[in-house]
Amino acid sequence: HDGLVPGCHLFPFNVTIRSDRRSTCKGSHVLHACVGYCESSAFPSRYSVLVASNFTHNITSASRCCTISKDAKVRKGRGAEDPSYLEASVMFCSSSLPPQVKVRLDCPRGRHHDEIEILTARACRCDMCRKSRY
Amino acid sequence: FKRVSAVNLRSFIGCAVREFTFLAKKPGCGGMHITTDACWGRCETWEKPVLEFPFIESYQRVCTYNKSRLVTVKLPKCRPNVDPTYTYPVALRCDCGVCLTSTTECIASV
Repeated sequence: HDGLVPGCHLFPFNVTIRSDRRSTCKGSHVLHACVGYCESSAFPSRYSVLVASNFTHNITSASRCCTISKDAKVRKGRGAEDPSYLEASVMFCSSSLPPQVKVRLDCPRGRHHDEIEILTARACRCDMCRKSRY
Repeated sequence: FKRVSAVNLRSFIGCAVREFTFLAKKPGCGGMHITTDACWGRCETWEKPVLEFPFIESYQRVCTYNKSRLVTVKLPKCRPNVDPTYTYPVALRCDCGVCLTSTTECIASV
């Protein structure tokens, strides 16, 4: 783990978006993820937890995970080659402060340029682990 | 694996056995402070935007028991009709992993 630091930080990565499987129109952009190392611990459960779980949960795990702190959204632009390809993204609606990035899709022969708005992280924080259970 | 007491807590990355003191207590008995080995650390977690639903992909692992043994003690001052024994796990090995709801009370935020 040399060189790694505790906390939750923005991490840039490249994404390429294609209008369809044949990549009729496509564009690339740098988005941000949140990556990090937040504190977590596990210890013997209290007696009340033991009773409530019929003495099966003798360990309690308390944890925080690195999350995107401002949720964001995806919306599609105009005139895609294959509108159904982007249909799912239209369903995802935005919250108050959408950290969106517009990605321009370049099409052959300069016919048109679509713009796709996609989510990116603007800030990160150690917060609730929503998906750490199994 | 490392014991946390041997490293700098502010910069520690990973998951290790760490000394932990708790009050063992149950109705009808007196309490007893017990110092044992539990787990503590910082595991890699991330969230990244993706184009497909649900639009955010997550990787979440937490520091938890990988191997443990059970220890049973007798609590003091128990009423005659109360079982004085109290059993708790001692961590032998800790690792970053998913929180197993079959054996663990998983508290998502602290």
